[in-house]
Amino acid sequence: MVETGRLRQAAVTAPVLRPVTLLRVAIILSVLAIWEFLAQSGWLYRDVVPSLMAIGRALIKLLTQPYYYYNLGITAAEIGAALAIGGLSGLALGIILGANRFLSKAFENYLYYLGPTPKIIFFPVMIMWFGVGPESKIALGTLSCFFPVALSVAAGMRQIDKVLIRVGTSFRASTAQMVFKIYLPAMRHPIINGIRLGLGVALIGTLLAETKLSNKGIGFLIIQAYGIFDMPRMYAMLIVLFVLAVGANALVGRFGGLHSIKRN
Amino acid sequence: MTAAAVRTTSRNFVPAAVGAGTLVVLLLLIELLIRIDVISRFIVPPPSEIVASLWRVIVEEHIFRRFFLTATECLTTGVMITVLGIAGGVLMHRFKLLQQACETWVAGLAAAPVVLAYPLFMVIFGRNAWTIIMIGFVAALPPVILKTIEGMAGTRKVLVNVGRSFNLTATQQFWKILFPAALPTIFVGVRLGLIFALINVVGVEFLINYGGLGQLINDLAERYDLAGTYAAICFVILVSVLFFMALEKIERWLRPVD
Amino acid sequence: MALAAAPTDAILVVDSVVVQFDTAEGPIIAVDDVSFKVRQGEFFSVIGPSGCGKSTLFNVIGGLLGHHQGNVSVGGETISGPHKSIGMVFQEESTFPWRTVIDNVAFPLELVGMLKAKRAERARHFIKMVGLDGFENRYPGELSGGMRQRVSLARTLASEPKILLMDEPFAALDEQTRLLLGDKVLQIQQQLKQTTLLITHNITEAVQMSDRILVMTYRPGKVKRIVDIDLPRPRTSKIVGSEAFGRYVAQIWNDLREEASRGMQDEEAHVLHHESNVS
Repeated sequence: MVETGRLRQAAVTAPVLRPVTLLRVAIILSVLAIWEFLAQSGWLYRDVVPSLMAIGRALIKLLTQPYYYYNLGITAAEIGAALAIGGLSGLALGIILGANRFLSKAFENYLYYLGPTPKIIFFPVMIMWFGVGPESKIALGTLSCFFPVALSVAAGMRQIDKVLIRVGTSFRASTAQMVFKIYLPAMRHPIINGIRLGLGVALIGTLLAETKLSNKGIGFLIIQAYGIFDMPRMYAMLIVLFVLAVGANALVGRFGGLHSIKRN
Repeated sequence: MTAAAVRTTSRNFVPAAVGAGTLVVLLLLIELLIRIDVISRFIVPPPSEIVASLWRVIVEEHIFRRFFLTATECLTTGVMITVLGIAGGVLMHRFKLLQQACETWVAGLAAAPVVLAYPLFMVIFGRNAWTIIMIGFVAALPPVILKTIEGMAGTRKVLVNVGRSFNLTATQQFWKILFPAALPTIFVGVRLGLIFALINVVGVEFLINYGGLGQLINDLAERYDLAGTYAAICFVILVSVLFFMALEKIERWLRPVD
Repeated sequence: MALAAAPTDAILVVDSVVVQFDTAEGPIIAVDDVSFKVRQGEFFSVIGPSGCGKSTLFNVIGGLLGHHQGNVSVGGETISGPHKSIGMVFQEESTFPWRTVIDNVAFPLELVGMLKAKRAERARHFIKMVGLDGFENRYPGELSGGMRQRVSLARTLASEPKILLMDEPFAALDEQTRLLLGDKVLQIQQQLKQTTLLITHNITEAVQMSDRILVMTYRPGKVKRIVDIDLPRPRTSKIVGSEAFGRYVAQIWNDLREEASRGMQDEEAHVLHHESNVS
C-alpha cells in the first residue's frame, strides 16, 4: 500500500530514530541505571561506586579548580616534551634506517623486539639518571614514544614510491632537500600514524611515572585522591583524562586525514 | 644450498653481525667509561657487575617463583581475553546491529590508556593479583574482539556459498566454514592481546608493588640495589622479547599458505 | 636507406658502455659495448625489444647507475652522477601527489633557490607549453594519467636541460592519448630545438619523431643499427600515412622482429629451466 510505504520510508530517514542510535542510547542508559542502582544499594563498600550526582559534583569542582589546571599544564608540558624529543629522534633514526638497507638489517630488529615491552620498569633507572623532578617523567615518556615513531617512519621510508626518489636524484637534490621536500611529504601518513601511537604511549608512560613518584601533575593528583579515598574525585579525573586522551588521538588522526582528501 | 641461497644468508649475516658487534662495543665502552670514572658507578653500574648480579638475583630472589606468578597472571588474562574476546567478536558479527553500535566503542577502548586507572582497580579489587589480571583483561580485550570480527567478515564469499550449496545449518556453517577461515586473523588478535596483557601485567606489578617479575624490579629499586635493579630489568626485557618471538613463530606456523 | 654519418657537433657522447649485473643466476650483461653520439638539437631514439637493456642505458646516461664501464660525456664533460644538462622523464607516474601542478613544475627551480615570483612565472610558461594552463592549482590526483605525464614533462622542461632524456614516457597511456602527446612533444621539441633522447619500444612513435634511431639487440644489448630518418620537418602525426614512413617502419620492424623473437625464445627457455630446477 502506498501509505505504509511512505510511512516506513519516513521512519528510516529520521536520524534520531535509527536503530543503531537507539541501541547505543539504550546501552548507555542501562549502564548508567545499573551504576546508580549499585551506588544507592550500599552492597559495595562505600564510595567504590559513588552516585552519579557525586561524580558530577566532583567533575564540576575539578573543572573549576585552578590547582587542577596547574597540574594539567605540567603533565601536558611533560608529554609535549617527551613527544618532541622522542618523536624527533625517532623520526631521525627512522629515516636513517629506512634509507639504508644495511643499517636496517643490522639494527631495526632490536627496535622491533624491544618495542612491545613495558617501559615503566625503566623508571627507577630514569630516576637515578634524571632525579625525581619532571625530567625523569619526560625521560620515560621519551623512551616510550621513541620506538613506535622510529619503526613507523622506517617502514614508511621503504614504502615511498621509488620513482619519486629517482626524480629528486635526477634533479640533483641535496640530502636536506631530499628529506624535507620528498621523504617527509611522501611519508605524511606513516608519520601521522607514528605520532598517534607515540602520543598514546608517551601519555601512558608519563602519567604512570607521575603516579609512581611525583608531587605534581595529573598522575600525582590521581594517587593523591586514591590516598585519601576521594573516589568521586578520582572518577572525575579519570573521566577527564580518558576524554582528553581519546580526543587527542582522534585529533591527530583527523589532522592526518584532512590533508589527504585531495592528495592521495 | 644453492649458490643463491648462500649469497642471501651471507648478505643477512654480515649486517646482523655488525648490529650485534656494535652493541658489544657499546657495552665495552660503557664499562670503560665507568671504570675511569667518567660515568659515575653510583648511577650506572658497570655492565660486568650487572651480569654478575643477574645470577645472584636469579638465585636469591626466587626468580622462578616470580616468573611463575607473572606467567599465571598472564595466562589467566590470556584465557579470559581469548574466550570472551572471540565470543564477543562472534556475537558482534552475528548481530550486525550490535556491531554497528559498539565497534567504534571497542576501537576507542583499544586506544584508551586503561592502565592509568589502576588506582581505581586497586580500590575495587584490592592490592592483589585480581587488579593485575583485570587491568590486563580490559586493556587486551579490544584487539581480540576487533580481529575476530575482521576475520569472520573477511571469509571469502565463495567459501560461504560452498557451505550453502551443501545446505549446511547455521551452526554447521559457523563451525565448519566461518570459524576455521577466520582463525588466522583471530590468532593475530590473540597475539596482540597477549602482548598488551604482558605489558600491562608486568607494568601494574611494578606500579602496585605486588606480584612476580614487575614487583621484583620495584623491590630491588627500593632497596637501592643498583646492579640488581638493572639486572632484573634486563631479565624482564629478555623474557618479554622471547615471549614476543615465540608468539610470532606460532602465528607463522598457524597461517595457512595461501 | 642511408646509414648514419658520424655527426661532428655531438653534445652527448656515449662511449663503449658496458653494464653488468650480478643476479641470482650469475652475472648478466645488460648493455654490451654501446657507443653513439647525439647532435645538438637532434631527436634521437633508442628502440629495442623488452629486456634489451634500454632502460639500463637510460639510467646510465641519466647518471643514476654508477657501476658501468665506458663513459658518457655531455659537452665534453664526463658525467659522474646526474648531470645538470640532462633532464629525465620517467616511465612511471612520477608527479608528487602532495604538490599542486604548479608546485610540481616549479620543483627543480625551488631546488636551485629561484625566488617564488620568478619560479611561478617560469612554471606557468611551461605549464602552458604542455597545454595544461588552467590546471595550475589542481593536484595530480585530480588529473588523468596523460595529464600527469604532461606535468612530469613540464617539470623537467622547467629545468631547461640541454638534453631531454625520456624513458618510454607514454608507455602507460592508451593509444590515442599517446599519439596526441607525441604530437605535443614533437611540437615542443621543434619549438625549443631541444636535443631529445627517447627510449621506446614503439616503432611508429620512434619513426614519427626522430632524426635518427638506434636499434638495439636483445640482451646483451648491443648496437644493431643506427638508422637515419630522412623525413621532412616540421613533422606531425599526419606523416604516419606516407610511403616513406611505411618503409622506415618496415625496415626497423625487420630488425626488431629478429631480436624480439630471440627474446621470446629466451624467456620460454628460462621458464622451462626454472621449472625443472624447482621440481
